[in-house]
Amino acid sequence: MTNPEISQSEICPRCDERAVRVMTTSPVPGVWTMFSCDVCFYSWRSTEPSYATDPATYPAAFKVDPSTIADMPVVPTVPQRRS
Amino acid sequence: MAHSDLRDFFSTLEKEGQLLRLSRPVDAEPHLGAAARAVANLTDRGPALLFDNVNGYEHGQVALNVVGSWPNHALMLGMPKDTPVKDQFFEFARRWDDYPVPVERREDAPWQECTVDEGINLFDLLPLFRLNRYDVGCFIDKAVVVSRDPDDPDHFGKQNAGIYRIQVKDVDRLGIQPLPTHDIGLHLRAAEERGENLPVAIAIGNEPVITTVAGMPLAYEQSEYEMAGAIQGSPYRIAKAPLTGLDVPWGSEVVLEGEIIAGVREIEGPFGEFTGHYSGGRRQPIIKIHKVSYRRDPIFEHLYLGMPWTEMDYTLALNTSVPLYQQLKKDFPEVVAVNAMYTQGLLGVVAVKQRYGGFAKAVGLRAMTTPHGLGYCKVMIMVDETVDPFNLAQVMWALSVKFHPLHDIVTVPNASVLPLDPSSDPAGITHKVVLDATTPIAPEVRGHYSQTVDAPAETANWEKIIKEMLK
Repeated sequence: MTNPEISQSEICPRCDERAVRVMTTSPVPGVWTMFSCDVCFYSWRSTEPSYATDPATYPAAFKVDPSTIADMPVVPTVPQRRS
Repeated sequence: MAHSDLRDFFSTLEKEGQLLRLSRPVDAEPHLGAAARAVANLTDRGPALLFDNVNGYEHGQVALNVVGSWPNHALMLGMPKDTPVKDQFFEFARRWDDYPVPVERREDAPWQECTVDEGINLFDLLPLFRLNRYDVGCFIDKAVVVSRDPDDPDHFGKQNAGIYRIQVKDVDRLGIQPLPTHDIGLHLRAAEERGENLPVAIAIGNEPVITTVAGMPLAYEQSEYEMAGAIQGSPYRIAKAPLTGLDVPWGSEVVLEGEIIAGVREIEGPFGEFTGHYSGGRRQPIIKIHKVSYRRDPIFEHLYLGMPWTEMDYTLALNTSVPLYQQLKKDFPEVVAVNAMYTQGLLGVVAVKQRYGGFAKAVGLRAMTTPHGLGYCKVMIMVDETVDPFNLAQVMWALSVKFHPLHDIVTVPNASVLPLDPSSDPAGITHKVVLDATTPIAPEVRGHYSQTVDAPAETANWEKIIKEMLK
């Protein structure tokens, strides 16, 4: 069983990378913390249900394998510089 | 009848009993998205929702479902809230023809009240939240995004005001989805060819006409502000954003200014889309925010979208139907009305008076080759001019008794469609179909349609009597 506090601060629920950082905290102190993953840019709030915050219960269909990100479609494509 | 800003529109909604203020404390997730989903589930006459007690904020305000019903849509147009959809359609089409209405430029915008240039944190400013369960994060999905053509920056008409989904990736960094077919996609392409970043202004929290017009498929050189003037019936008020000089709505709650960074693409999505399905992840451009202007205690206006129907369907219903109607009517004046409000016109219904046998099928095929039809119009249902295309009971009647499966299907193989259509395979390609539910006429003589049951005498009079008694 994953400890949710450790998960939220260390492992991205979506891509399972240890690239999590605190993005920001609530304007009223102590209410919530927003976390963000620097690999897949998933973000979540500490007060959200576990389906959004816990790597163990985040659904497999929405998981991202970090090695596939570089091959994802580019929209729109980057045009060539004018000469 | 024009509303100067979102707060002015709320005054109208409140007077008409179409605004629900919610002051109970709520967690941003899942409650804000859930409430917006719930009100769409319950009724097509629902109110706007205004939350003012979001946990973690002293004064956080979130507006949802602002145009999420036919009464609210009618009030946006300055019409009585019980105006039937068909009447709203014809009034919208009539005002469309008033384009262009010159803008009113002002220098005293309310959003000039507060500014932030350093240490920008959008989460401090707005109660950002995750809308649907597996969205990648928080989005800004109802803001008017303004940009100019870098090759012709002084051309007012080429300045674009559009609505694009925007992922909040950091406190001052956003992801945006400017598709190559969008006007902003053309601006970005020109900027990147020049090796320049593209300045943008993102205006959040607006009266609903500019939001509606910003979602319209206008021609590249047509100004959304001059069309907003036509739709609201008076010049649209705009003001210059201080950093970029871009023209933004005078009445916005918040104006973010920044630039799309040239050459950068970064993973974005998924996001629960208007097709009722999540879009997948793609690498898309990012925006760095440099300046924020806002009213004190701004209202964060958010669109709920997901499984239809939602506010998005009301917002886009007529601005999809009317352009199709105008374009078809130009070539075929027999077209009476167009209802293209299902999933932004993936399915449409056209009422048309037939010239001769086979005519309705040709009009249905023409709809597929209009600018909007190239990405939509997958299923076109053709009905007689006596059928109200906005009345699904009548449309289903026509399909059930007029449509013959052997004679009345035209299939177009491998046509273009927007890639978000989950049935397209490969994404962006689909067969399309015309279902002709009009009455066959010469030389196409078949079926037994000569003895329709007409209404008893005095029916129209009794409609008036009963309607009056129900008031």
